[in-house]
Amino acid sequence: MGTVNMAVDFGGVKMQNPINTAAGTFGYGWQFQNFFDVSQLGAITTKGCAAEPWPGNPAPRMAEIPGGMINSVGLQNPGVAAFARESGPWLEQLSKDGCQVICQVAGHSVDEFVRALEMYVELCPWAAGYEINVSCPNIAAGGAAMGSTPEGASSVMAACRKVTDKPLFVKMAPVNVAEIAKALEAAGADGLSVINSIQGMAIDVHTRKSRVAKPKGGLSGPLCHHIAVRMVWEVAQAVDIPINGVGGVMTGEDAAEFILAGATCVSVGMANFVDPCASLKIAHELEAWAESQGVKDINELVGAFEC
Amino acid sequence: MPTPSTARMHDFEVVSNREIADGIFSLVISAPKLASALKPGQFVNIAVPGDASSLLRVPLSFYRADAEAGTVELWYAAVGDDTRRLSQMGPGSTSNLLGPGGRGWMVPEGTRKALLVAGGIGVPPVLCLAGMLAEQGVDVDVCLGFGTASKVVGVDEFRALGATVNVCTDDGSLGTHGFCTDPAAELLGEGGYDYVASCGPAVMMKKVAAAAAEAGAYCEVSLERMMSCGFGACNTCNVETVDGMKGACMCGPVFDASKVVVF
Repeated sequence: MGTVNMAVDFGGVKMQNPINTAAGTFGYGWQFQNFFDVSQLGAITTKGCAAEPWPGNPAPRMAEIPGGMINSVGLQNPGVAAFARESGPWLEQLSKDGCQVICQVAGHSVDEFVRALEMYVELCPWAAGYEINVSCPNIAAGGAAMGSTPEGASSVMAACRKVTDKPLFVKMAPVNVAEIAKALEAAGADGLSVINSIQGMAIDVHTRKSRVAKPKGGLSGPLCHHIAVRMVWEVAQAVDIPINGVGGVMTGEDAAEFILAGATCVSVGMANFVDPCASLKIAHELEAWAESQGVKDINELVGAFEC
Repeated sequence: MPTPSTARMHDFEVVSNREIADGIFSLVISAPKLASALKPGQFVNIAVPGDASSLLRVPLSFYRADAEAGTVELWYAAVGDDTRRLSQMGPGSTSNLLGPGGRGWMVPEGTRKALLVAGGIGVPPVLCLAGMLAEQGVDVDVCLGFGTASKVVGVDEFRALGATVNVCTDDGSLGTHGFCTDPAAELLGEGGYDYVASCGPAVMMKKVAAAAAEAGAYCEVSLERMMSCGFGACNTCNVETVDGMKGACMCGPVFDASKVVVF
């Protein structure tokens, strides 16, 4: 181990290795500190916060399904100010220890995204970058629509671009990804997280009710992985900005698939719930795979998929 | 920074796993560090091997922990694929779990007389609490409810602790015909209780909490939610309280009943 350079540059965020965490599956990072040394990850992406606190959806918020889960959390968050106050000191130390911190931005409208981002810039100067969640399917008032069209997604991106020169990423909805990715690149995105959870439904046939509080929820876990790999590859063909591959990564080989499809870095999501140490194990497995490929630098393998 | 979960990863080995009532199993595991760390009312989150498509852990309350023997005994109902697979794990089988998780029973100091109300597979954490109360010399009365006689568990164990036990079944096949919330409300009406605890179906806990409030007794309930992580990272096990949404895995599973909006 240790002979391959694992450091990558994700749109200006310098990561010591390509392993990141998917927002919403890693809390604010400190929830994992008693399980492993989080500073060994390349980056973490913190759960989305909005300008004001959001209560989220009623219970039940989750149902397990074969190969994954369906969630209807509704982006419960304490708001950027409380997040910065409660978790900021720990996250600032984490970034000093070598793990980059990307903060996710939530909002129901362009104005709300801009306001949340302005608060982050002021209150979380230690953040290496921000991920704009234009795609969370749980957002009721038009949020899903914003992320699912090139115009909607790029209008949020363009407005946020005016707020900061720091790296800005967009968490993409799993629809029409190549076209929307081009629009986001044109609007100034530094990188793209591909993909967010996929909308699905789970019905209890005995009660005839949804197994989560709302009719629809977000599917995540291994059942999404190969859809996500396809979408990362499509986005990689369409744009020049770097990609963060997200979707059902359980092993280093799953992460390697994203790298070969064109991702510069990879986020671990549901696996964090199954095994809190999963992200670090995956980082080690990815390094072993890179060694097995006989390269000196993991970047040589980005997009190295052969058809 | 808020306080992270007390849960750690523990490997365990199955000592025994036997059916003690219809569909209800007693699982004894060897996990020494866990056994000395668990407090009554906390939970563990078990990885049940054998199905690669079923990824999440199974959160379970426990009945008793023996720090000297290094063992933990859990009672669970085999109701879904994961718990049915768990019931197939024989002595010597190994896996891992996360624990101890959450906030357990917080019995106020000076408690002298307690009423415990449990339904079905809500019995084990309440039985665990009864053991702690007995050690503290608290008088304990118990009301237990089950669907039918073949599913009754815990009655002998409660009585061995010196508790007075009222048993109810929905079909009248054992004890009083009806719900255990009726004798519980009667007892509370007679007065004298300074602490009430309950675990079981949501509607049962809601009734117990209302009766306790009327009687002026402090009441705690142990709530069940679907859980993804069990250590405060996922926000899926939410409980609506008067103070907003709270995670059952960190702020519970035991809650002050007067704060709970949705049981």
